[in-house]
Amino acid sequence: MTEPLLSVRDLKTQFFTEDGTVRAVDGISFDVYEGEIVGLVGESGAGKSVATSSILRLVDSPGEIVGGEIEFKGETIFGLEEGDAGELRPRDEMLTETQMRKRIRGREIAIIFQDPMESLNPVFTVGGQLREFIEINRDLDPAEAKEEAIDMLREVGIPAPESRYDEYPHQFSGGMRQRVLIAMALACQPDLIIADEPTTALDVTVEGEILEMVTALQEKYDTSFIWVTHDMSVVAEICDRVNVMYLGEIIEQAEVDDLFYDTKHPYTSALLDSMPRPDKTVDELRPIEGVMPEAINPPSGCRFHSRCPEAREVCREVHPDLRDLSDEGEATHTGACVKHDAFDVGYGDSPAIETETGSGFSAGLTETGGEAE
Amino acid sequence: MGLLRYTLWRLAQAIPVLIGIITITFFLANQIPGDPVEIMLGPSPAQEQVEAIRARYGLDRPAYQRFLTYLAGVATGDLGQSIYYDRPVLEMILLRLPVTLYLTVSAFIFAIVTAIPLGVISAKRRNKPADHVSRIVSLIGVSTPSFWIGLMLIIVFAFYLGWFPARGLPLPWASPADIRGAETQLQVVRTSLYHLAMPMVALGTLQMAQITRIERSSMVESLQGEYVKLARAYGVSESKIVRKHAFQVAQLPVITIVGLGLSTALGGAVLTETVFEIQGMGRLIITAINNQDYELIMGTTFMFGVAFVIGVIITDVAYAYIDPRVAYGDES
Ligand code: SF4
Repeated sequence: MTEPLLSVRDLKTQFFTEDGTVRAVDGISFDVYEGEIVGLVGESGAGKSVATSSILRLVDSPGEIVGGEIEFKGETIFGLEEGDAGELRPRDEMLTETQMRKRIRGREIAIIFQDPMESLNPVFTVGGQLREFIEINRDLDPAEAKEEAIDMLREVGIPAPESRYDEYPHQFSGGMRQRVLIAMALACQPDLIIADEPTTALDVTVEGEILEMVTALQEKYDTSFIWVTHDMSVVAEICDRVNVMYLGEIIEQAEVDDLFYDTKHPYTSALLDSMPRPDKTVDELRPIEGVMPEAINPPSGCRFHSRCPEAREVCREVHPDLRDLSDEGEATHTGACVKHDAFDVGYGDSPAIETETGSGFSAGLTETGGEAE
Repeated sequence: MGLLRYTLWRLAQAIPVLIGIITITFFLANQIPGDPVEIMLGPSPAQEQVEAIRARYGLDRPAYQRFLTYLAGVATGDLGQSIYYDRPVLEMILLRLPVTLYLTVSAFIFAIVTAIPLGVISAKRRNKPADHVSRIVSLIGVSTPSFWIGLMLIIVFAFYLGWFPARGLPLPWASPADIRGAETQLQVVRTSLYHLAMPMVALGTLQMAQITRIERSSMVESLQGEYVKLARAYGVSESKIVRKHAFQVAQLPVITIVGLGLSTALGGAVLTETVFEIQGMGRLIITAINNQDYELIMGTTFMFGVAFVIGVIITDVAYAYIDPRVAYGDES
């Protein structure tokens, strides 16, 4: 394969709070190649949004990227080196804050946020906001930028874009606002668009329309996407490759078909079981048990062991790294679960442990496949 | 145009409010114990004299009749006759109102011009030293009464340092002949500004402190908004985010506070005028109350009511102008 467009290596982003250090993103690595849609999946709190804001170097205080490397088209968005006194300092080639602002944000990497209701500024017209960002990121003069903005609004399916250009966000429905935000991202002609749960706040019909539109536009403009979501059905619909995150770590990485039909990690299975599918009845839907522990004090060993139906004693001690679990000749498929042979830590001989959620009710639920409800 | 119609609509809505104000003041004023005629004529006056005066000012008629007469008078711009000054109430008000407006408007300009940058800087440097200083200053500002500030200013800057005059407030457009030591209009303006400095600060400090506080919290909130994140993610510079994206949204609550402050400031003007011996509306209303000058009490209170209503209308219209979500009357 060619060089990746974006390459993230061992990224660590932490929040320094009064209660301690929250390791929101704890050493994740993934690549995005030209023209593909890469999924970043997990429950809320898994660190997906922190990971994406790290890519733009826009982590809110008290958060900070503390380690790892982010390369984009040969430029170093983030990278540390050891100084003379052994301290860590930014590498010389790391882009400065001004360079990030002028060269990367919007121009090369654009973002679509989750909440279309809050993301647009209520006191400026939709067109004005669109035009401003186009002007900044494409060096167009106001008249050209306006034309471009109207074309883009038409492209994302907003009827009568000339007149809607002068309207305010509150005059748009949620779905229409999300289209505006998508238009905004596309209009800046970036190479990569980060879509941070862009359809979560919308109802299912609108979500479907938007996913369809994005797929079509993605093909037309050949833009790469990082699609952040907690919804496996969205993943199935649009992603090429998927990274599954749990508590700040990526625990499985695969092409979308492999992930669905040759699932390697129990957490991914749990996510899949909780998702409505045409080949399953509602009775077979199984919500994931328990809640994700706090990233401030992650469980020892495998971080999923407190909720994993397949957990054994050894899972409490061994922290599995992400290993290649693919069969020969297949596309790379990695996972971080000791039940696989690639981890020779004695999973087979280890006694099963009671999971935190195994308090009768949910343990029964796991075994019998969801009698309750 | 929507905004114009909205403004006219708000003005029309003010009429019943003003009628309400007149009604309440009329009956309250008439409930004040004591008798203006007694105050006017001194103790034990002759019976005929009392009756003559009562007849002259219509005090011998029942309250409801006098009320209707009064209401009709107000509608035609006649606020009645001041017993104490023996001049039309409107004339007295027009004589005193300019000074009060001059003082209040200056105090407001002083407050806004200082408070908005302070609040914005405070929000931008949240929890840093500049923020702490501005927060402490504004906390002291909101909790210190204006008359006390006035007295302190007089003691320090008039009495000890002698930098500013402590009494009176000549208007900048007064004729040079009326102002001692002034020959040209420019000198009048200078004298006027000298006199203005201390009462302006005394009256404006509370407003300044309040506006600073609301500006700060509003900017802090606005700077955390999703639209600010979006602007950052699209490479908008931080200074433009503060000046444009965050600032405009943040001004909505500030406008409300400024509008409400207008009436507080008029109330404060009464005290400030007393401290600095300024012949304005404040002194007029106090004289009116002390002398049970019914018509003058009602007239001055009515004027305060009008000022308050105008303040509210300006607030609403400014709000509608900045925030497109405020539905104009014709769109709802
Ligand atoms: S390592 Fe153990 S606890 Fe973790 S996912 Fe695999 S089986 Fe479950």
